[in-house]
Amino acid sequence: MIGRWTGLALGCAALLAAGIGPAEAQEKPKKITIGFLNLVNAQLITKGLGLHEKAMPGIEIEWIKIGGGGDMLRAIAGNQVDFGGIGNPPSAIGVTRGLPIKGIFVLNMLGYVEAMAVRTSKNIKAMKDLEGKTVAAPFGSTTHYLLMTAMRDAGVDASKVKMLDLNPNDIALAWARGDIDAAWYWEPNLDKAVKDGGEILIHSGTMAERGYPTWDIGVVMTSFAEKHPGLVETFLKSECQAVDFWVKNPETSAELIAKELSLPLEDATRMMKGTEMVPCDKQLTDAYLGTPEKKGQFTDTLVKTATFLVEQKRLPKVLPKADFEAFLAPEYLQKVLK
Amino acid sequence: MRAAVPETIGSRPTSWALRLRATPGVISVASSALLLLAWFALAWTELANPLFLPGPVQVAAKLYEIAVEGYQGATLAEHLATSLGRILAGFGLACAVGIPLGVMMGLSRNVQAALNPMIEFYRPLPPLGLYTVLVMWLGIGEASKLALLFLAGLPGIIISTTQAVSSIDLIYTRAARSLGAGQRALFWHVFLPAAGPTILTGMRISLGFTYTVLVAAEIVAASAGIGWMIWDAAKFLLSDVVIGGLFVLGLTGVALDFLMRVLGRLLMPWTR
Repeated sequence: MIGRWTGLALGCAALLAAGIGPAEAQEKPKKITIGFLNLVNAQLITKGLGLHEKAMPGIEIEWIKIGGGGDMLRAIAGNQVDFGGIGNPPSAIGVTRGLPIKGIFVLNMLGYVEAMAVRTSKNIKAMKDLEGKTVAAPFGSTTHYLLMTAMRDAGVDASKVKMLDLNPNDIALAWARGDIDAAWYWEPNLDKAVKDGGEILIHSGTMAERGYPTWDIGVVMTSFAEKHPGLVETFLKSECQAVDFWVKNPETSAELIAKELSLPLEDATRMMKGTEMVPCDKQLTDAYLGTPEKKGQFTDTLVKTATFLVEQKRLPKVLPKADFEAFLAPEYLQKVLK
Repeated sequence: MRAAVPETIGSRPTSWALRLRATPGVISVASSALLLLAWFALAWTELANPLFLPGPVQVAAKLYEIAVEGYQGATLAEHLATSLGRILAGFGLACAVGIPLGVMMGLSRNVQAALNPMIEFYRPLPPLGLYTVLVMWLGIGEASKLALLFLAGLPGIIISTTQAVSSIDLIYTRAARSLGAGQRALFWHVFLPAAGPTILTGMRISLGFTYTVLVAAEIVAASAGIGWMIWDAAKFLLSDVVIGGLFVLGLTGVALDFLMRVLGRLLMPWTR
């Protein structure tokens, strides 16, 4: 009896050793998890064309669709993704909270794909007219940040505006019921409000021109990047190919995106036009990530966003600029482009 | 013979330590203290990431700050009052509708047959799924929140009231009738005393269910309430606010339950 048990134990140990052995020798993960945002950008092209799967054979690529920045932060904090994407407010939150992530490439710059729809019958012609109205935005998102900033700059008395925290789906619902007068949120639901008695008062592209750009940035878990720097470069190479594909083949791209998000083709085309993709070589210029030696203006946006969140009492304090610079890691992209 | 039984149970322990061990209250305090101590230890040794599990001192300090300065425009007391107002209104409605319905279902098999499918169908539905429909029908204001809390509390009360009323021994009813009791006397002097304790238990369970859906009810378009505070803070990774909020909910839940038991004893002294 004892002999049989010992044999079994030895067998198990051998199996375990066999299982661990080759994986250690290759130093490659078996699986890479990519959390992607429910937004229109070139990452959907990467996914649709299977670029990562082709570039990293032998590694299982798992794609997880994540609804918004808050959920993405939780996924990152829980170490459930290797790569992810977040807007500038969640990035500022993540850096301040010390999440172990690095921003490695620009996913997209937000234009009129995010905008404030106002109900035409309510006669809202300027930000000031929002006083006494009910306005919705998903709190903690890029649009919440822009809404509060635009109201502040226009001298709107925020205490006279009834602010509601609603996610985009609930905004669409509340709009259809007539519960809200205005909402700053994003496609694909934005167009529904415009067609249902609404008009666009201001969009995120206008705010970018005023010095408040909003964007989404691709991030990698720091531990993953330290362990597999080569894979981060392979990853970026595919993402850059997808951005080029987006620029060169807008029609095929629209078809791919329509399929990935189950949207009508015309919606996908409209949303693509409202989103700016930044070619990879441009991402290393001062307007974006910058270089490892001199980080770009994304740092300023992060500091601005963090300051806003501190004013909103959503963050305890604004960290020194160096912490936000440390979050940006253009060195991987630089190596890819060399 | 009878006197011998309590004597063996309550026989004097040899030392005070043994007696201490025998009291349930002491055991409860000890187990809670042990958990709190483990929390202190985890925070102090920094075994747990403070981002996810802030220490008890940090949580307490945050709660104090919210109590004094407030969280997003409302103090802790205001958040709590908003939430308790919603809970008590939803629960009160559930009692006002559930107890009469339960009595009718307990007295008549036909009523029970007619209503049971509906109750059994919606009872296991996840609150968030139900809430989506309620928001569509009732809007994003207070009505949908109250409706969700009401619906969460309702089945527990109906089921326990039905059970309580249908299990009343017919002998009591017949005895009371033969002594000339009318419907009103039957209700006050037979049904209520016999069914009361079970109904009260049902009410306590139902209050618990109402509590469990509070965060779900305050996710959409709320700007105050402990549930909303927890939800909002989670978006900004303010884990001390989240955990502090959960403590407030837990403690007020225990307090409300205690109040219900005291009320039950006052109203129905025969249950003791």
